Amino acid sequence: MAATRKLWHRLRSLRSQGRLESELDAELRMHLELETEKNLRAGMSPDAARRAARISLGGVEQIKEEARDAWGASALEGFRQDVRYGLRSIRQNPAFAAAVVLTLGLGIGANTAIFSVVNGVLLRPLPYGEPERLVVVRQSLSSPATPGLGFSEKELLDYRAASRTLEDLVEYHTMSFTLLGGREAERVQTGVVSHRFFDFLGVAPLLGRTFRAQDDALGADAVLVLSHEYWLRRHGGDPAVVGRVFQMNNRPHTVVGVLPNVPQFPNENDVYMPSSACPFRSSAQTRENRGARMLNVYGRLKPGATLGQARGDVASIAARLQADHASFYPAGSGFTAGAVGLGDELTLRARPTLLVLLGAVGCVLLIACANVANLMLSRMLRRSRELAMRAALGAGRGRLVRQLLTESTLLALLGGLLGLGLAAAGLDLLVAFTARFTTRASEVGIDATVLGFTLVASVLTGVLFGALPALTARPELAEVMKQENTRAGGGGGPRRARSLLVVSQVAFSFMLLIAAGLMLRSFWKLQQVDAGFRPENVLTARVSLNWSKYDEDGKVRRFGEELLRKLEADPQVRSAALSFSVPLAQTQPFNRRFQIEGRPVEQDARPSLDFRVVSPRYFETIGQRLVRGRAFEDRDEPRAQPVAVVNQAFARHYWGDSDPIGQRVSFGDEKEPWVTIVGVVGDVRQYGLDREPGLELYRPFAQSPGWGAVLVRTRVEPTAIASLLGRAVHELDPEQPIDRVRTLAEVRRDSVASPRLTALLLGIFALVALMITAAGIGGVLALSVSQRTVEIGVRMAMGAERGAVMRMVLGQGLGLVLAGLALGLAGAVLLSRLVERLLFGVPATDPVTYVAVAVLLLAVAAAACLLPARRAASVDPLVALRHA
Amino acid sequence: MPESKDARSDLLQGTLDLLILRTLASGPMHGWGISQRIQAVSDSVLVVNQGSLYPALYRLEEEGWIVSDWGASENNRRAKFYRLTRSGERQLAREQQHWRRLASAVFRVLETA
Repeated sequence: MAATRKLWHRLRSLRSQGRLESELDAELRMHLELETEKNLRAGMSPDAARRAARISLGGVEQIKEEARDAWGASALEGFRQDVRYGLRSIRQNPAFAAAVVLTLGLGIGANTAIFSVVNGVLLRPLPYGEPERLVVVRQSLSSPATPGLGFSEKELLDYRAASRTLEDLVEYHTMSFTLLGGREAERVQTGVVSHRFFDFLGVAPLLGRTFRAQDDALGADAVLVLSHEYWLRRHGGDPAVVGRVFQMNNRPHTVVGVLPNVPQFPNENDVYMPSSACPFRSSAQTRENRGARMLNVYGRLKPGATLGQARGDVASIAARLQADHASFYPAGSGFTAGAVGLGDELTLRARPTLLVLLGAVGCVLLIACANVANLMLSRMLRRSRELAMRAALGAGRGRLVRQLLTESTLLALLGGLLGLGLAAAGLDLLVAFTARFTTRASEVGIDATVLGFTLVASVLTGVLFGALPALTARPELAEVMKQENTRAGGGGGPRRARSLLVVSQVAFSFMLLIAAGLMLRSFWKLQQVDAGFRPENVLTARVSLNWSKYDEDGKVRRFGEELLRKLEADPQVRSAALSFSVPLAQTQPFNRRFQIEGRPVEQDARPSLDFRVVSPRYFETIGQRLVRGRAFEDRDEPRAQPVAVVNQAFARHYWGDSDPIGQRVSFGDEKEPWVTIVGVVGDVRQYGLDREPGLELYRPFAQSPGWGAVLVRTRVEPTAIASLLGRAVHELDPEQPIDRVRTLAEVRRDSVASPRLTALLLGIFALVALMITAAGIGGVLALSVSQRTVEIGVRMAMGAERGAVMRMVLGQGLGLVLAGLALGLAGAVLLSRLVERLLFGVPATDPVTYVAVAVLLLAVAAAACLLPARRAASVDPLVALRHA
Repeated sequence: MPESKDARSDLLQGTLDLLILRTLASGPMHGWGISQRIQAVSDSVLVVNQGSLYPALYRLEEEGWIVSDWGASENNRRAKFYRLTRSGERQLAREQQHWRRLASAVFRVLETA
């Protein structure tokens, strides 16, 4: 009842705001008349009677204002007024407004951009059916440490049969095949999956269908499903592609469907085929060998099952497998299985980087807020007359605070708008950056959540930087009017507030600079790492052979040898070589179990090494050092003695300081020949500059044919021979694809692109923070100097030297900076723990970084203090005292 | 009027509302009338700050304890008359009881302490 009446009253007063105003006028007028009449009756003169009446009523405007406050509509009406005043005051002082909007725009923009990534990658649910039920199942060994062991088909079937918590256990692996029948031969990245794979993800086809059980049966006709991206790129989105037949692996493959535009998981593929269509996967060798682990396995939690239960479930199945098939799971290898949520798995690598960046932009925004609050505070001093006047004319204190908050929020919203533009402009770069960590990068964009975030951030910012000046404002009419000039305004409250703001700015800047400094140093260390080869003047390319065409060692070898001959015949080429893969090109090791002659080990307990195959002049081509013995030569032909070269890590691990040359190793069983070690080469970081070299063994291409990459050391700029390389390959086989043509230097650079970008982003944020902070320190000191002009004048008149005055001002500024540094140090120690996981070769408490950053900050702060200090020193005592 | 500060009391915060409600309990009245009435009844001890009278009236109206109508005053001028509503009467009863309790408590302290 009461509520509806109030609402009605409110609506009525909203509707008739004007009428109520005039009623109040009439009411007050009558009050005055009656009071005057009473005074006349008491014998006053007409003039005196009127005056007394007016005095006893008090300020009419103030009464109206208070009455308006009592009206329900006053909040809304007042808000409209506040906005009007706010806009007017922004227009009156465009330079101030521009400074504020720009500062906040930078801060809010950085936050919006990073938040849109966090939102797309970490917050938004996966775009699959019931994503919280999807899990990744994983087998692992603790010795040798192998986190992702993979599954064999036999194992997958065992888990399927025994699991009580998981349904839809599906397999996945990815291969690269040659596809014929389009405009030209092309290499397609192919996801090989169970027929239930897309049902597991809850993805329905855009066109046609996905796989059925009969597609997955051995010997079924091969079918393909195209990814949305590939369909658009290669077939221009033509729906008629469904039903078309392509040649792959010497078999016809029929396209049966196209996927919708959803992010692919776990990798991006061009096409998908059922497991029966993959020649490796469906070969009897693979299927019958429990140890042939090439599959990733995913599952869906059964209704009611939890991730914890699933973990226990798969671990107990793994224990049973180990008990039942002891020879495949050696005791002491720490064999076990586990499960993690798909969402966590996808974002595992992105999470720490994104959280650090989010923290960094949060700091930038806080620093920006502090600066703007400072700007507002000093502007308040200049406006104190205006505010006092408004108070005198009837504005209540609450009303003034509200008006200032409205003004600051308006500015913040403008800043937010600018920030949104900045974020949108930088988003493409950020998406490319994020794509290095997670496949979810494609989901990053500015959506309703991001817009909401920006709005909330803007309003909060406005309140944050507006509240402090508004609350320290004491519009005392008498006090302000008494003062001769506005300079002297601002009591202890605002001054302390300004100092506090500067201290916190310095503290946050210090934290941010430490984080950026650590990342930069870490990146620099990474750059300094000796990868073990000389990347200058080397061109590399991936040439993955269509292995169903090159199905014999002889064919593979002939292609490779002819290609090398063609390349080396060109005068621009110094040497050319073939290899499995290019170092640092994001490839996987090819692990093979082995044993050393004279140190027999049971088949299942044998250690493994990274098996690599290279052509004779490989080591000189990439500039890998030969330490002992010899490199491969042309005499290491198929029928010659089988030879190998090992790396230093391998030699040291098994032979210590003694000479491994002449020692023999073998892979597989007794029938395979022993391989003699003829040389030792330097260690190369194959899989990342931050990863220690593993144990490697190289075999000559002629004796163990197989290659996937070609490398050319040139006498000229390496990119100049790219077309020569392509021509050479196509002259030998027009259907052979060649891709990823990059110089070795580029490969190396790309391998550290993500730490470089992280360091760069953090560095930019830290620099912005530093500049804002410097401006803040300088501004506060300048204001303080101008307020203390008289005092400084007096000091100088009493004999203080200019140097002493300068020192006084500098000391005041640097005192604040030192206080901020002390606070920031504590914060930085906390923050650096977050950064620690991203660092390479630098401890999170690296004293060099801390000292360097402190010195940098002090230097910049000192420079910022210098200008106001010099102004203080140039005060003319005579002028200052005349104004006192 | 500083010279009279010792003799007259400024109204305690919140008591103005009570006095207005009590005054209106004896019939509809306009703003000036209310101020005169309070002053007269209290033998001029209580001076209503006329400046705060009108905001208080608007506040009470917003609360729904009083309503206003335009009507003719003594010498036929248009005036805004306020009168108590039912919920205003209840509010008055509540505040009176509250005030009596407070006053008697203060009185007891003055007598015994």
